[in-house]
Amino acid sequence: MAAGARAGNGRLGAWAWSALLLAILAFLVIYPVLMLLLGTLTDSNPVTDGYAGMHLSLGNFAAVLANPNVHDILGNSLLACAGGTAFAVVIGLFFAWIVVRTNTPWKGLIAATGMLPLFVPPLVAGVAWSILGSPKTGLINTFLARAGVEWRINLYSMAGIIFVFGMYYAPYVYMFTASALRNMDPSLEEAAEISGAGPVRTLFTVTFPLILPAIISGMLLSFVVMLGIYGIPAVLGAPANISVLTTYIFALTSWAPPRYSTAAAVAFILMLVTGVLVYLQQRVVSGRSFTTVAGKAFRPRALNLGPWRFLTLGLAIIYLVIVVVLPTLALLVAAFRKFLFIRDIASLFDAKQYSLLHFERLFANPATIDSIINTMEVGVITALIGGVLSFAIGYTIIRSDAPGRRLIDLVSTVPVAIPGLVIGVAYLWAWIGLPGGFYGTIWILALAFVARFLPDTVKALSTSLMQIHRELEEAAWICGRGTLSTIATIMLPLARPGVVAAMTLLFVLAIRELGSSLFLYSSSTMVMAVQLLGYYEGGNVSVTAAFSLVQMVILGVLIGVTNRLSQGAAGGVGRAG
Amino acid sequence: MSANLEISGLRKVFHTGKPAVDDVSFTVEAGEIVVLLGPSGCGKTTTLRCVAGLEHPTGGTIRIGDALVSDPAHGLLVPPRARNVGMVFQSYAVWPHMTVRQNVAYPLKHRGLSGAEAARKVDGALDLVDLAQYAERPVVQLSGGQMQRVALARSMVYEPRLLLLDEPLSNLDAQLRLRLRDDLRRIIKAAGLTALYVTHDQLEAVVLGDRIGVMQQGRLLQMAAPEEVYNRPADLFVASFTGASNFLPGVLRTRQGEFGTIELAGGHTMQAWCAAALAPGTAVTLAIRPENIRLEAASAVNRFEAMVVSQRFQGVQTAYALGLAGTTIEALATGTTMRHPAGTTVTLNIPPEVCWAYPAP
Repeated sequence: MAAGARAGNGRLGAWAWSALLLAILAFLVIYPVLMLLLGTLTDSNPVTDGYAGMHLSLGNFAAVLANPNVHDILGNSLLACAGGTAFAVVIGLFFAWIVVRTNTPWKGLIAATGMLPLFVPPLVAGVAWSILGSPKTGLINTFLARAGVEWRINLYSMAGIIFVFGMYYAPYVYMFTASALRNMDPSLEEAAEISGAGPVRTLFTVTFPLILPAIISGMLLSFVVMLGIYGIPAVLGAPANISVLTTYIFALTSWAPPRYSTAAAVAFILMLVTGVLVYLQQRVVSGRSFTTVAGKAFRPRALNLGPWRFLTLGLAIIYLVIVVVLPTLALLVAAFRKFLFIRDIASLFDAKQYSLLHFERLFANPATIDSIINTMEVGVITALIGGVLSFAIGYTIIRSDAPGRRLIDLVSTVPVAIPGLVIGVAYLWAWIGLPGGFYGTIWILALAFVARFLPDTVKALSTSLMQIHRELEEAAWICGRGTLSTIATIMLPLARPGVVAAMTLLFVLAIRELGSSLFLYSSSTMVMAVQLLGYYEGGNVSVTAAFSLVQMVILGVLIGVTNRLSQGAAGGVGRAG
Repeated sequence: MSANLEISGLRKVFHTGKPAVDDVSFTVEAGEIVVLLGPSGCGKTTTLRCVAGLEHPTGGTIRIGDALVSDPAHGLLVPPRARNVGMVFQSYAVWPHMTVRQNVAYPLKHRGLSGAEAARKVDGALDLVDLAQYAERPVVQLSGGQMQRVALARSMVYEPRLLLLDEPLSNLDAQLRLRLRDDLRRIIKAAGLTALYVTHDQLEAVVLGDRIGVMQQGRLLQMAAPEEVYNRPADLFVASFTGASNFLPGVLRTRQGEFGTIELAGGHTMQAWCAAALAPGTAVTLAIRPENIRLEAASAVNRFEAMVVSQRFQGVQTAYALGLAGTTIEALATGTTMRHPAGTTVTLNIPPEVCWAYPAP
């Protein structure tokens, strides 16, 4: 199909191939988005009215836009994300500088453990911080009270959401700025020092302005991720009556009767904001970069901080304690303690207070095991379908001259700008009104995940396909092999590590996904993330903590496997949020 | 005010292996341009960076003017910003987010100058490097040569005591390099600056330097005026690095002052300048530059008959491969005519002053 030299039926085959891929993409991506748009422009309920009795008008969307509640909620979302982003930039930039440009001890370890927050599902982070920081029963406040301190913290607040957002999404800013710092010619900074500037002045007049594109890029990306997150604002915002776009969309669909069209309209607003930010980010990334001026290998340069290096080490340790150690301890204590009430410090270390009680209760509920099995099933289906489709798309984009491959590339990238929750609402609109019972099966979850993570897997696979020299394929053609035979005998074996890594990545992303599952699960297709939310909303903190730990262990093992299979491909876990 | 630079016993050992700079001592007088010359990895750039303060020496002292700026034995290390030196980097290191004027004005920002005075100095520096009409351009719109001149203006605008240049021309194309090479010396001399210049290009070193220091494996082998380095190389490495490409093995038979009689293979004898305290009977290597072999019978001393193995036309000169004393040596004759076809015999003459004997390696 791809070999342009063969005329006639070869050309026809190429057209048929492109048409097939575009049809699949239309089914997975374009159709649901169009249905979401349709939902935005109507006020009927697809479940009761079906699609036929739908009357279209701008009225619904206009009403949503005029709704003062929506204004407040949009304001909350923007405030939480802006605050969280500002905090993330401060932390991320600081750590990038520490790791790349100073002689802080153990900076390799700091860099590695600093990425851990990316792998924590947002709902688990939210649960852990509610155990730590709830105003009345939070562990931190219990300790403050025991220590005789008057002051209390309250994470059930806008400040709490901003704090947790900033802490957990700082690694995005770190990733972008650290690599920009590494690629920067150190003599640009040395020139400033020779010119008489001190380290701080050099940092603010030369270093930071030079990596500004990377800072802005990391900022926009972390803003977009925060905007699409459900778990953290759901846990920390709900008790204080703080709604953001994501929690509001879900609330709309769980009212009786569900307000599907309003949910679609709000989801559409969320998609618009995300789309604009993603577009800006792509512009910044593709724009002229200052940092690779000389284009040669640079000798590493570490600022000698002298005794100050222990201060930077201390700050790094504080960050790691806050973001890794404390939440883990909170989950462990909550999951293994018979009663979460802690009278004094001695009781915290009293072995009699601990048992496997909550784990027994967790697994006594058949819904727990069912949700784990369902999740694994969805994960495997997603990985298989997504892996095959991504390979086909990646190969077509990179190696073939098939017609319309620019369009295929573009459509497969579109989901980058669609938060998981919006995909969920779009798939709900696309299938709930159709007979045949597709809605409510495990397949709709899998297809939604395939669509949602298509950009990540296509990108990961393209990278490994690009590393296979074109001449290896051409040699097989010269030997008389056809295109399909060449793919099977040359490309697939050579690309196998990349394909396996992409599929494992997809599996990990699928089993931790909450946003899109919220709208697509049914009682028989409950997945782990949704079940966890159910336990949390049921009010049993200890069982919730126990299940969180179970999920963290499963994820940890899988991510370990992914990393073994391909160093670096796990970076894609990032966007999942 | 430009000051002199005094380096004494400088050592720099990186984490691994041999010292990058090993016991280097020399002085640059006020207003003088000294060039450090050597192959890559010889320690010349590390020496320069130690003077700038960008690298921390392991031992030795560095003095700029009256001020001791580096003495690790006594824990003294003045940071780069307080040394009042200017530096031009190999990669230019002009800041791409600023205009030409912003780049050049940057070092003046915190020096307590009035705005008008700073502007006057920036204009003066830009005039000196002939970039006045580009002042408001973003530097990324400039050519490589113009960026290099911005870097030069920036390093001189605050009248530093000492100017350091780290292979400033190596990223430029050949023609531009020739032009800037001459400009550079003129500009530095016009500003009356003391300069330390690092390069691996012998021609650059000869044209730019008042004195040249040749370095190898962290050691300073010779520091002298260009014509002395070229006519009296201190050792075999200096001779070969500066272009002596013919080597003949022999044994020193007798010695008369600076000169000696060397016996070559095949029974030839040659009069040669003996560099070190060579005793008769030692095995030596003779180093001869191809340009110094004269294809005519000018003198009775060091006159030989040789067979032309091949001749290669190189435009304004011709290279001849000649069989002599059991080996092949190369000679260059200037002019656009080829005079000696392969297979003929020529008479050649090598003046003893340009025939250098060193202990055999």
